[in-house]
Amino acid sequence: MSVEFKVQSSESVAAGFSLRSAKKTVTVAVAGNPNSGKSTLINAIAGTRLHVGNWPGVTVEKKEAVFEYEGTRIRLVDLPGVYSLSPYTQEEIITRDYLVHEMPDAIINVVDATNLERNLYLTVQLLELEIPVVMALNIYDEAEKKGYAIDAKAMEEALGVTVVPTVATRKNGLYELLKAVIKLADHPASRHPKKLNYGEDIESAARIVESLIQDGYPSLAEKYPQRWLAFKLMEKDDHVQNELTITSDALSIEEAVRHLKKAHEEDVESIMADARYAQAAGLTREVLKRPELRKMELTEKIDKIALNRFLGIPLFLAAMWFMFKLTFDVSKPLGDWMNTMTSGPFKRWAEAVVGLIHAPSWMSSLVTDGVIAGVGSVLVFVPVIFAMMFFITFLEGSGYMARAAFVMDRAMHAIGLHGKSFIPMLLGFGCNVPAIYATRTLENQRDKALTALLVPLMSCGARLPVYVIFIGAFFPAHAGTVLWSLYVMGIALAIVMGLIFKKTLFKGEAPMFIMELPPYRMPSMRSLLIHTWEKGKHFLIKAGTYILAVSILVWFLLNLPWGVENKKDSYLGQVGQVAAPVLKPLGFGNWEAASSLMAGVIAKEIVVGTMGEIYVKTTGEEKKTEQPAFTDDLKELGTSFGAALVDSAKNVFSTLKITSLSAEEDEQRAGLKSVIQSTFTPLSAYAFITFVLLYMPCVVVAIAMRQEFGTWKWFGIAFAYQMALAWLVAFVVYQGGTLLGIGG
Amino acid sequence: MGFSDIIWMGLIIAGTLYLLYRSVWKKKGHCAGCDSQTCELKKSNR
Repeated sequence: MSVEFKVQSSESVAAGFSLRSAKKTVTVAVAGNPNSGKSTLINAIAGTRLHVGNWPGVTVEKKEAVFEYEGTRIRLVDLPGVYSLSPYTQEEIITRDYLVHEMPDAIINVVDATNLERNLYLTVQLLELEIPVVMALNIYDEAEKKGYAIDAKAMEEALGVTVVPTVATRKNGLYELLKAVIKLADHPASRHPKKLNYGEDIESAARIVESLIQDGYPSLAEKYPQRWLAFKLMEKDDHVQNELTITSDALSIEEAVRHLKKAHEEDVESIMADARYAQAAGLTREVLKRPELRKMELTEKIDKIALNRFLGIPLFLAAMWFMFKLTFDVSKPLGDWMNTMTSGPFKRWAEAVVGLIHAPSWMSSLVTDGVIAGVGSVLVFVPVIFAMMFFITFLEGSGYMARAAFVMDRAMHAIGLHGKSFIPMLLGFGCNVPAIYATRTLENQRDKALTALLVPLMSCGARLPVYVIFIGAFFPAHAGTVLWSLYVMGIALAIVMGLIFKKTLFKGEAPMFIMELPPYRMPSMRSLLIHTWEKGKHFLIKAGTYILAVSILVWFLLNLPWGVENKKDSYLGQVGQVAAPVLKPLGFGNWEAASSLMAGVIAKEIVVGTMGEIYVKTTGEEKKTEQPAFTDDLKELGTSFGAALVDSAKNVFSTLKITSLSAEEDEQRAGLKSVIQSTFTPLSAYAFITFVLLYMPCVVVAIAMRQEFGTWKWFGIAFAYQMALAWLVAFVVYQGGTLLGIGG
Repeated sequence: MGFSDIIWMGLIIAGTLYLLYRSVWKKKGHCAGCDSQTCELKKSNR
């Protein structure tokens, strides 16, 4: 899988040069440890927008960016972050297969300068491939801040690579890096990776194996780096053996490594790993000078509290609560502005256009009561979705999300998973679909399937519009807390369901996994805005595509058979009436709720869109009032947007004081809310949003599950258990609340 | 309602169903990033 990005951004390093006609193409693989800044580096060089997050495992597949630099066409291939080239995880297999089979012209090895020894373990393995390497000694500024002094010249001599200190986030050192790459591509012989000496026992065994390969399989000797192939066969690497259809036994390799094993009393894989670690450790000692007395760093200070075994989870829950409150408070003025616009000027303009083309009355109704009411009801919540995505991006970029996964590790182990599985689940707060695809970072099929089954319980952004309209109608004084309760309920039920699955479908213990905790960083505003846009634009595209499509279909279903007087007797109403009795014990057994929930299987926002269409006053019912002029509308649009922005900014500073979604609702917004208030009670409203949180994953998640696992089986299981769970929990909420006399 | 209205309605419903099929099934919901497998499509559309 790859994508070609054309360089267009004037802010990219490559675009800073005049483009000349390309003479040749140089393929450069970018490899490094997770969270070493590979994607940031590529984005900075090529002006692309690969997903960047301050946590490991963001890049799952290899991705490409192509651009021209000083007459050379450069193809940068962003490989998944790996700690080694052993074939245990999918990322390692993707990275290794690419390097061995594609043999790029050069490798940019991105090394985290603040964590030299661990990163050099991968470098040592890259050198075995005998591909020219340019090392980007990245995050160099933080290393300097820590007082580290790295002797780049000594490193170049020891490894036979070019070393360039870089700070990808500030684009420092990237010109030098590109120049070094071009130079290396033009003159590959100028720097050849050194063959590191792993000790006489290993080296002599490797020499024997290399000669065995040359004699027995000369074609392989030409195709693969010989030294690397010898090591892999000595290690009995299954992946290599299967690919080459030869075994170590067939080559009498066992004979060659007998002395090695006897001398070390270990298997060859462990001996090789020790030798590579020794190289990385020795090199670090040679080139790195640390300050004598190291002060406790900020990250460690924060982590002392954030990762405390008693405070960790309460702090995570508090951070979530604060995020939701801030989301509500910041987005409210903009949401109100959007609502005023969609129910005012936008609707009037649409009506004017329809009148201008002399469209029949049914088409006018389709536009205003279908498209504007349906899509408009969803668009009103775009600000809240973007605000939520902004804060999620901030938590990702700051490094706190990785801590959240860490503090959840113990709870995840209880359900047979480890904290790494919590990362796709956290991604699910944005959208469940990429979260399903992110399960491929997990080691085995069992973990992937179990995590994918639990991901839909994480409340995605698409569910926000439903929550916001109901919370605004019934719980305005406690909006942040009620929203928080839904997200926490999702996580708690994921743990409960995980426990059930562990006892039934997925027996066994979680594999051991060491999770990396990146240092805390303040994400740049540019990066925050870019990634918020990348996450949020999806909802805008949805509004213009399938939410629009469903709104039109719902309008037809509400108006067929043609001439139907009461919406209840329409096709949609009739279907809703069939399903309504099932929902009666949950407190919302009316056809309107049932129909909306059914339409919501396409995408959860459509629940609100459909309600907007069902409850909208049919065109003509509204009183005719004097229409403002187009220019007045435009003026109002601009001034009210400015005022909404100012209010949003004020709310950021006063968020601890203000009452979000206060009772002072404006009249326009009161439309759908007032109908909801007359149809639901606070208790049935909470049961309804609980049902929306839990009931079946949307159609796109179903497709993602099918694609990721190659079968409908897991979606089938998710569908069945989620429908049952949603009904049961909503039942308990409503009937339990009624029994206790709450909110009826 | 005349014959032309029925034709218009048929066209709108057909277009809507195609839009639904294209955006949900073919474009995988337009979900974020290459992880959603949309990159191949982007590439081939280029």
